[in-house]
Amino acid sequence: MSAVLGTAAVTLGLVASVLGIATIALGLRRDNPAMLRAGQRYIWLVLGGAVLATAAMQLALHTHDFSLKYVAENGSRSTPVLYTVTTMWSALEGSILLWALVLSGYLAVMARRFRTRATDPVVAWATIVALSVSTFFFALMTGPANPFRLVSGAIPLDGPGPNPLLQNHPLVAFHPPMLYLGYVGFTIPFAFALAALITGRLGEGWLVETRRWTLFAWGFLTVGIVLGAWWSYEVLGWGGYWAWDPVENASFLPWLTATAYVHSVMVQERRAMLRVWNLSLLVATFSLTILGTFLTRSGVLNSVHAFTESAVGPAILGFFALVVAVSIALIGWRGDTLRSPGSIDAPVSREGAFLANNVAFAAFAFVVLLGTVFPLLAEAINGDQLSVGAPYFNRMTAPIGFTLLFLMAVAPALPWRKAATETLHHRLLWPAWAGTLTVVACVVAGLRGLGPLLAFGLGAFAAAAALRQLGLSVRAARRGGQPVWKGLFGRSNGGMVVHIGVVVIAVAFAASSSYSHRAQFRLGAGQSASLAGHTITYLSTTTVVHPNKKTIQARVRVDGGKVYGPALQQFPFGSQAIGSPSVRTGAFADVYLTLVVPPDAEGVAVIGMNVQPLIAWLWTGGAIMGFGTFLAAWPGRRRRRTDDDEPVAGEKEAVPEPASVSS
Amino acid sequence: MTGLQTSDKVSRRVAWALLGMVLVLALAIGGQGRSGPLTEDQRVRRITSVIRCPTCRALSAEQSDAPSSESVRDEVRRRVQAGETDGQVKNYLVSRYGEDILLQPEAKGVGLLVWALPLLGVAAAVAGVFLALRRSRVRPGRRVSDVDRALVEDALAGDITGPR
Repeated sequence: MSAVLGTAAVTLGLVASVLGIATIALGLRRDNPAMLRAGQRYIWLVLGGAVLATAAMQLALHTHDFSLKYVAENGSRSTPVLYTVTTMWSALEGSILLWALVLSGYLAVMARRFRTRATDPVVAWATIVALSVSTFFFALMTGPANPFRLVSGAIPLDGPGPNPLLQNHPLVAFHPPMLYLGYVGFTIPFAFALAALITGRLGEGWLVETRRWTLFAWGFLTVGIVLGAWWSYEVLGWGGYWAWDPVENASFLPWLTATAYVHSVMVQERRAMLRVWNLSLLVATFSLTILGTFLTRSGVLNSVHAFTESAVGPAILGFFALVVAVSIALIGWRGDTLRSPGSIDAPVSREGAFLANNVAFAAFAFVVLLGTVFPLLAEAINGDQLSVGAPYFNRMTAPIGFTLLFLMAVAPALPWRKAATETLHHRLLWPAWAGTLTVVACVVAGLRGLGPLLAFGLGAFAAAAALRQLGLSVRAARRGGQPVWKGLFGRSNGGMVVHIGVVVIAVAFAASSSYSHRAQFRLGAGQSASLAGHTITYLSTTTVVHPNKKTIQARVRVDGGKVYGPALQQFPFGSQAIGSPSVRTGAFADVYLTLVVPPDAEGVAVIGMNVQPLIAWLWTGGAIMGFGTFLAAWPGRRRRRTDDDEPVAGEKEAVPEPASVSS
Repeated sequence: MTGLQTSDKVSRRVAWALLGMVLVLALAIGGQGRSGPLTEDQRVRRITSVIRCPTCRALSAEQSDAPSSESVRDEVRRRVQAGETDGQVKNYLVSRYGEDILLQPEAKGVGLLVWALPLLGVAAAVAGVFLALRRSRVRPGRRVSDVDRALVEDALAGDITGPR
């Protein structure tokens, strides 16, 4: 039943995508507006196909339809409902289905947003590009990554359930969808960029139109990455949150290029420069989401995340190559018309800072990409087996990180075109003192180490610069008779809030990687141990049998207060016990406990203890960044149109707002 | 007037010089590591933090709770106690587990590329940006043609009446 429904739905999505492309292409060729409009309607069929396929998959999972290979391999009768829902993205085929669902959702929003402009060639071409991407993903689901394939042979009575690590924490319900909303969201700006190249309408129009799409995608990706780090911290049990694992890098790479893009786009909007560069960044972002999918889903790199390995690799790699080849060819073809009329007058200016920002982000992305694929390269070159891990990435990216913090502090104070020293003095002196005094305070408090001190100082400098901008904006709003909170909305203000979030994360990263303590203690019942000013007392161990797992849980009192329960969990089909850490979260330090070895015959257990500062700041910083993105996407303080005679506020009083808000 | 401007300039310089001195002093004090030789624990940590956990991929032997990491830690501690240098311990681990036990490749052979390429890339990018900047700063002077000049002069003279 669900197999038939699912297969039919996937076929519907594929056919509708292809027909949509064909109709719009014909409409463009014959200059037929009716066909262009008709082509847009296929998007609703694509959405219908994706929603139906998702419903079929969920139905199969919840009714334990083990005739489906995917359900037989990833579902189980004993898995709780929440994790049965998330089983859809616990393995390759279902993840592709989630991708297709999110993509068709974006397509539908795009069709609705541009419904009055279906006959605009840019919109038509963008739709063709976006539908081509959806064709690829639906085709993947009819071929190598078919989620509705039937089991061969007898239908099993029960399945193993999803990977134990993926049914251990509710974050698994939020992290992948958020990440996919980010990844897939870049398809729309990418589609418009290609459409602009194809139609030759290379002005700033496509850029402005996709501005908010890019911001939303970027915000979702940011939140998705932070949630992933949080999941890793709460589930994996090694005490860290970022291991520079290939899967983490795969999500970080498009984030880096997208971050470069949301900055350099402002230079193009303002000064009509960097056109080729911006197109390249957008193409890079989109193709890196595809490359990331290839790296992580094809099993080409073994990583702790590689839950899935399959023959999908060549298909995705081929699609990646196609995307890159087509994009480069188009940019090359339009190279002449892309030449920018503007030029940079002085290096010490806003556009100069954006340029430096872009060099830094490009270098960052290059280092992460190189480090991620280097083991493959080395093996291909002369068969060397090499590892590239956290020590490499930390060492190479630290200077780039400092550069970016410094730019974040200085750039908001720089005017466009050219900066006078007096302006710089006026705008930068007190933020710079904030940074310097932070370093002094840290040194006085006994903190040592050049790296973390630089990070704290530059962080305070950047945060002060951002706060200064926000303060000015709020004051301007108040003077203009607007409510104070209006001063926080809009791209530049939201951007400053995002900067504050970045600073919070950078400070937390520097602190937790420099001042953490880790130890393992062999403790009998009632015995205590101390680390970095915190004392734990091991009380006892209990064993609880759940329908889907057996839990061996230690009871550990932290600092004479609350009792925490680090545990080992044994799943029936898992070979190894999975550790579940237990964390006492604090505003300034976390105490992270793991049960390394359950008690032996004498009742002595091995308890792992990590004390790390400022971990909670990471998640807070992520939330601030998400919130800032929301503020940035919100329409900001409008400059009054020059031909308006009535002030905006007066208009509002005269014409009361309608009760229902359209669109 | 000019006197005022110079004194402004001087006071600005003084303000930044003061800031620079305070910052350098604080960093000089804070940047020093703790004095004295490393303890055995610290050395074991320093070595194992760049050694891969043999049975996992991305974690170091210092971070991982896996039994294989524990045996690496024990081995490293034994060798540190026996008086071996960091290099000797690492060489032993490479001979035992292979080159890929190191979490950062050594800067030799193919491994050199992973260190050198980013540096070369950044150098090339910075050089490229500087060249582009210089070119674009030279260009505007040349680009003004006589036609442009005439247009500007007409506009200033008020001959062209466009939308205000």
